[in-house]
Amino acid sequence: MTEPMDVGAAAPASASAASADLGILAEQLLGVVQSVEGVSSVYPAQPLWQSIAGAVLSVVTGDTPALITLTDEAGVLAVKTRIAVGTSRPAPAVAREVAEAVRRHLLPRPAAVDVSVVKVGV
Amino acid sequence: MNTSDTLECGHSLAELSAYLDTGQIADPVHVETCPECQAGLASLRHLSELGRELLSSDVAEAGSGTDDWMQSILDNLRLELRPGRSIPLQSGNPQDTLWETEGSISALIRSVADALPGTAAGKCRLHGDVTTPGADITVEVEIAVVYGHPMEERAAALRQELAETLAVQTELTIQAINITVTDVLEPPHPASPADATTEEQP
Ligand SMILES: [Zn+2]
Repeated sequence: MTEPMDVGAAAPASASAASADLGILAEQLLGVVQSVEGVSSVYPAQPLWQSIAGAVLSVVTGDTPALITLTDEAGVLAVKTRIAVGTSRPAPAVAREVAEAVRRHLLPRPAAVDVSVVKVGV
Repeated sequence: MNTSDTLECGHSLAELSAYLDTGQIADPVHVETCPECQAGLASLRHLSELGRELLSSDVAEAGSGTDDWMQSILDNLRLELRPGRSIPLQSGNPQDTLWETEGSISALIRSVADALPGTAAGKCRLHGDVTTPGADITVEVEIAVVYGHPMEERAAALRQELAETLAVQTELTIQAINITVTDVLEPPHPASPADATTEEQP
């Protein structure tokens, strides 16, 4: 049959399932980011005083601020993280390694990774 | 406190200063996860240490310095404790975007300057279009130095150390690092009104 599904009824259920998946993924990715050598801390992906309007599928890991923000943008998973880097390794190299580690973890799913270094040093 | 004292995140230097003194703040979770508040605390801590070393007045009391040099440093802190511009980094994949915040780099410059003995960083600025890779950038640093420390050597050492640090920790094309000693700090006059410090000063 080519009869379309009843979108009105199906959408909420699949949206919440997708959102739960992203929640688990965000937690995994937090571990991935934290395990990159040189990352001393992971800060809330969205500064708390900024609005999160628009990030419909954004997922919160843990209770309070989201440390990794995931947004499904037309099939590409947008990953956003803000990190602090110690002085033991160059910050630009650490940022690249974080992006690569996240990308590797998500394979084969297409991803766009946004890494902001918001603190350098102790 | 007027509103210009407030950082973008809503906290003020006065609140952070009180937090250093009392350990009390309305929002401790925020402070732990806010890079600007963390950098502010590090600078205030350094200033009050230097102040205790130097002055009879309570330096960072309520986040407002009692001396001109202290006031100037706090004014610069207010300006520079913010994320600022986003400085792009080369990424290994065209889909990815990597950045350093301008605030993270000015805080790094400040921490390098503050780490020199008897030195407090004032203005720590990046001039030039940091948002364009390869653009020529000039670093401007103002420092206050405790009397007795050789200033020429101090500035040369700081310039060298900043050049090395910025070469490792950023991808900026640094054309020049200009360091100005804006204040030479001297111990207070012995006739100043009785305060916490009772030691005789020569
Ligand atoms: Zn803050």
